[in-house]
Amino acid sequence: MTQLSMKSKKAKNDVVVSTSQLTNMQRILRDKWLYFLLIPGALYFILFKYLPMWGVLMAFQDYSPFRGFWSSDWVGFDHFINFFQNPDFIRLLRNTLILAFYDLIFFFPAPIIVALLLNEVRMQFFKRTIQTLVYVPHFMSWVIIASITYVFLTTSGGAVNAVVEFFTGEKINFLSSPDWFRPMIIAQVIWKETGWGTVIFLAALASVSAEQYEAAIMDGAGRFRRMWHVTLPALRSTIVILLILRLGNFLDQGFQQIYLMTNSLNRDVADVFDTYVYFVGITQGMFSYSTAVGLFKAVVGIILIYGADYFAKKMGQTGLF
Amino acid sequence: MKMKKSLLLLLFSLLLSSILVACSDDSDTSSSTDEGGDDASSETNSGDGSEDAYDISIMTTSHSPEPPGNDSPVVEAIGEFTNTNLDITFVPNSNYDERFNITLASGDLPSLILTGKTSSFINAVHDGAFWDLTDYLDDYENLSQMNDIVLNNISIDGKIYGIYRSRPLGRMGVTIRQDWLDNLGLETPTTIDEFYDVMYAFTHDDPDGNGQDDTLGTIVSEYEGPWDIMQTWFGVPNKWGVADDGTLYPHFQDPNYREALDFFKKMYDEGLVNEDFAVMDPAKWHDAFVNGEAGIIVDVVDAASRNQDQMIDADPSLEGTVDVFGAVEGPNGLYNLPTSGYSMMYAISKQAVETEEELHKVLQFMDDMSSEEGQTLAFNGIEGRHYEMEDGVYTPTTDQSLIYEHEDTNQLLTFVPEDRYLEKPLQELEEKEEEVLETNEEIVVGNPAEPFVSEIYSRQGEQLDNIILDAKIQYIVGQIDEAGLDEAEELWMNSGGKEYIEEINELYQATQ
Repeated sequence: MTQLSMKSKKAKNDVVVSTSQLTNMQRILRDKWLYFLLIPGALYFILFKYLPMWGVLMAFQDYSPFRGFWSSDWVGFDHFINFFQNPDFIRLLRNTLILAFYDLIFFFPAPIIVALLLNEVRMQFFKRTIQTLVYVPHFMSWVIIASITYVFLTTSGGAVNAVVEFFTGEKINFLSSPDWFRPMIIAQVIWKETGWGTVIFLAALASVSAEQYEAAIMDGAGRFRRMWHVTLPALRSTIVILLILRLGNFLDQGFQQIYLMTNSLNRDVADVFDTYVYFVGITQGMFSYSTAVGLFKAVVGIILIYGADYFAKKMGQTGLF
Repeated sequence: MKMKKSLLLLLFSLLLSSILVACSDDSDTSSSTDEGGDDASSETNSGDGSEDAYDISIMTTSHSPEPPGNDSPVVEAIGEFTNTNLDITFVPNSNYDERFNITLASGDLPSLILTGKTSSFINAVHDGAFWDLTDYLDDYENLSQMNDIVLNNISIDGKIYGIYRSRPLGRMGVTIRQDWLDNLGLETPTTIDEFYDVMYAFTHDDPDGNGQDDTLGTIVSEYEGPWDIMQTWFGVPNKWGVADDGTLYPHFQDPNYREALDFFKKMYDEGLVNEDFAVMDPAKWHDAFVNGEAGIIVDVVDAASRNQDQMIDADPSLEGTVDVFGAVEGPNGLYNLPTSGYSMMYAISKQAVETEEELHKVLQFMDDMSSEEGQTLAFNGIEGRHYEMEDGVYTPTTDQSLIYEHEDTNQLLTFVPEDRYLEKPLQELEEKEEEVLETNEEIVVGNPAEPFVSEIYSRQGEQLDNIILDAKIQYIVGQIDEAGLDEAEELWMNSGGKEYIEEINELYQATQ
């Protein structure tokens, strides 16, 4: 590994000296092993990401599996028009957006806060243990988390409701109340993914040199000053990039989780684009229509990611592209 | 330097080969199964030396955790009996619809595929994916005896596209704890009012005599079936009612519907039904009855003996504590909800079965499976392995792995025209169940729109149904009031319901 990095360092030095004298072909030949290493990744993207992308054309067809892609009728934007005129559209958009905002406000900062807290912990053993414990939930499947939630929150013998009843004398129907649906979803996400999210921030924090902290201490900065003026600025670019990436998935709500927590009593607030695509596409077999819905989501995602990147650059931050 | 290069090369080739392996995985396995099929066919060919065994692939549901593989002795015996090479794909019942649609989309259909009369199936029929069997069925001894009412129910545009799996029409019924009734000095309820009184007593009067307030009248899960059955008692039509002027209207516009909902709401408010029913996993539904937490369960008739068997397993003294009846009388008479008389059907794919000659072989297979030998093989398994016959008494094996080996092959059976498999002598309760099934047939309420195929319903039926179902549940738990129900009905109308009613009425008038 060290040999490898030394080699690339050396190569870099070469480039500085002689870039202008090399043709593209020569450069490729010189770095041929690096390009070789690129092939598996490129193949993956071509095979599994770019080739299937032609399937989105289905959204403009009245696709029937038996007539096949080539002989299905083309219908233009019919499916999109139907979708936007459907009374469900507003409800889906509202539910999706509200959940997305909640996610951004409550979940997104959570890993940053935990990373900052962990960074202040002095005892290495304690820090490591906490770090491991908080990212264990990431490896549990949503099915398990939904069952755990059910066991804890059910009104017939759930632990949480036992406590609530003890203090207030009444039970709260978390699982079937539309008011509790969103808090419950966000709480699940925070519990499951916060620990995992801290990994990247902790990595970024590891690169802050101790000298900066020492200098700050010399200047008389306390703990919070140090956090504010040294730690957070060190994290800033990481936060911005993760935020931009998150906005790209703004409308993705994690189908499994929502699907598992939905029931007759909270469906009104629980239906989001992802579950709608499943119900319409897979259980009702309307492939073209659900592809159109999925495509609409993807377009919104692209707009958001480019928009966020543009604004990040305007604000003087490094963007993605 | 050399070292490093060769190391890189090694790494790279490792990466590449792992990708290639991953890519070729599918083709590998499929070709190997093909080979397996060929082997089997050559074996059977040399075995009987007559006509070549015909390859039939089947996709169907499974209910046991370990469905039999194609090498199961039962599957092989069925193949031998019908002179076919079977390739059966068992899909867990709980996500069958999903797999069905994905299989449709993949375009790679098996010869026989189990399907409900769902919108995607109907669309596929319109695209010409399945054989029209209408004119072929009469040529087969058993298949020609299918029931006309059920055939009408499964028909699409007046044609038959599948072989239905027969189920008793009057299968809905109430399972009740007889010993609880006895303890409280109550009679089996015969009217809705008495039914309410029994539920009330079961909830509040300590029917199990343990001195604790730990019992419920009835138990309901997320599955809406019990509400549908109970509302039928009130005289609510089965999905569609016929108005005085001969037009059809959706069941929730019936005046009795609100009355039924008020009754359910009262049940819920007074705690006669479990508070968490709207989120309860249907798989755990019957546990509460079996464990003695609830005294009544409104479901299918045969649940009575199934539940009693489980109760006896845990405590033999509970024998004879369960009773069953069909329905209780409402203000307008005695009604019960029927099934549609079938549980899904086997459709034959035009893609896998290309010629009429092949179609004949597939139909012959289904016909053979309805014979006594076919039903016994698929339902009971192989004599000496899965069951014993002594002096005409049938004793099935109790070895769980042997049960799994053949249990799910009964999914292949249509039971047309009748049950012909081996049965244990009926217990008392099972005889009672048979009686209830029969008396039910006289009081079931038919759905006048059952045979019709609605364009709108096939597009957005699920959303339409959910609007009404959700409103019903919300009303029962008190999330919405009468005005909320009205709003939901209006939403239903504006979401395509109005057009749906018109469409169904057009179809209905055309047949009158």
